[in-house]
Amino acid sequence: MKDKERKIAVEDLLRLKRAERPPAEFWARFESEIRAKQLAAIVVRRPWWDGVPRIFAIASRKHLPLGAAALALTWVGVHYAEGPSPAMRTAPAGPAESPALAVVPAAAAPAASRAALPMESAEIEAARVVPAPRPVVASSTSHLTKAPESIPAESVSRSPFGDGIAVTLADFRETQPDIAQRDVFGSDREFEASVASDRQPVAEPLARVDPSGDRLERLLAPALPAYSSGAGSALSGERLKQRASDDRLYESMDRYGSGGMSLEFRF
Amino acid sequence: MNASKALEKTLVASPERKLEADADLSVVRQVQGGDVAAFDRLINKYRERVLGIVYNMTSNREDAADLAQDAFIKAFQSIHRFQGQSSFFTWLYRIAVNSTLSHLRKNRLRSFFSLESIREDDPVSRELLDALTDRTGVGRDAFVRELQEKLNDAMQKLSIKHRTVVTLFEIDGLSHQEIAEVMGCSVGTVRSRLHYAKQLLQAELQPYLR
Repeated sequence: MKDKERKIAVEDLLRLKRAERPPAEFWARFESEIRAKQLAAIVVRRPWWDGVPRIFAIASRKHLPLGAAALALTWVGVHYAEGPSPAMRTAPAGPAESPALAVVPAAAAPAASRAALPMESAEIEAARVVPAPRPVVASSTSHLTKAPESIPAESVSRSPFGDGIAVTLADFRETQPDIAQRDVFGSDREFEASVASDRQPVAEPLARVDPSGDRLERLLAPALPAYSSGAGSALSGERLKQRASDDRLYESMDRYGSGGMSLEFRF
Repeated sequence: MNASKALEKTLVASPERKLEADADLSVVRQVQGGDVAAFDRLINKYRERVLGIVYNMTSNREDAADLAQDAFIKAFQSIHRFQGQSSFFTWLYRIAVNSTLSHLRKNRLRSFFSLESIREDDPVSRELLDALTDRTGVGRDAFVRELQEKLNDAMQKLSIKHRTVVTLFEIDGLSHQEIAEVMGCSVGTVRSRLHYAKQLLQAELQPYLR
């Protein structure tokens, strides 16, 4: 009577399953089968691919460091495949560097200062072998030195900014040769030769204009130094010398601000 | 107070289980040292429990026998990798449960049940059956068989993971923490699955409940 009043829950019914037992002959067969399987496991060598899931299991436990390593390797691969990053092309001049500034390592810096920064020299060497689109900015030693020798002249695409800088510097050297000496700007003669040789194959829009008259030649001379040669070159040079007054010189020096190991151009 | 003690008991492994784990570890060290015959002691000790887990998950005796044997063989082959970070039975259960889950996923559509006989020499089950029916003889056997079918049917209606949690907790008596280790999930997940599974079983077995 007491049993009939007992409360029966799900747990009680499930407890019945604990009492389910196979017959005795089942265990005899179970024993013999497991012996045979154990013997086979000892005798038969496991194939090599049995360990593959274990490798993946270990890898899944260490997915975070492996992922970080893979990311780092990818970054290194992409970095060296594409050449130095823009941050490497420009010297680490200041914290708030505007995009309009292109900082170029100065070749004329004292040798002692250069020796104190071996990392920068390594970056410079890395930048030397990379085909940079603008050799004026990414050149190996200075914007006034020659373009990288490994780059064919035809493959270098010239920019209007680069040509403008070259013309302005040429004017500046003509008017103030004592300031534009090697100690300040480095070896610039090779750069001039390079610029002149590179400019020939380039089809500038203005170069397509037929320079028939003297007036046209004089007008085009500041923009395209190729027109400054010949008969109009003397007149053009004279006008340029007049324009390069002291104010212009100071203004130019402001645009070519130099700081420490680097030289900055402001466009 | 009693409720908190009961909760702690379900959460933490019992001291007896810890002593058992230490004894198992010494046997495992013997096997790792080359004493292959020592592994037979582990088989004899755990074969009924492993078979019970697999059988209650599959509800098929033949499948359960194969899967239990495979679990022991896998444990034997991998015993050199066992480092004692968990107890041997937890490790063995994990192998058995994972093998069974893999088998059940491969054979989702296969559903035939074989029934083991309930040993009425167990006082708990006899008392429960007495409470459920006043019939004797053939009538009692038919009632027990029908109840077993209903239980199996209700278990098979659970998802594989819910069924595994119910089997490990209610039938094999593992703690929440041990189940979490075996199944590779959190204790909270174990509790949640257990609660949900019991609600479903309660709905299925309502005619037998009081």
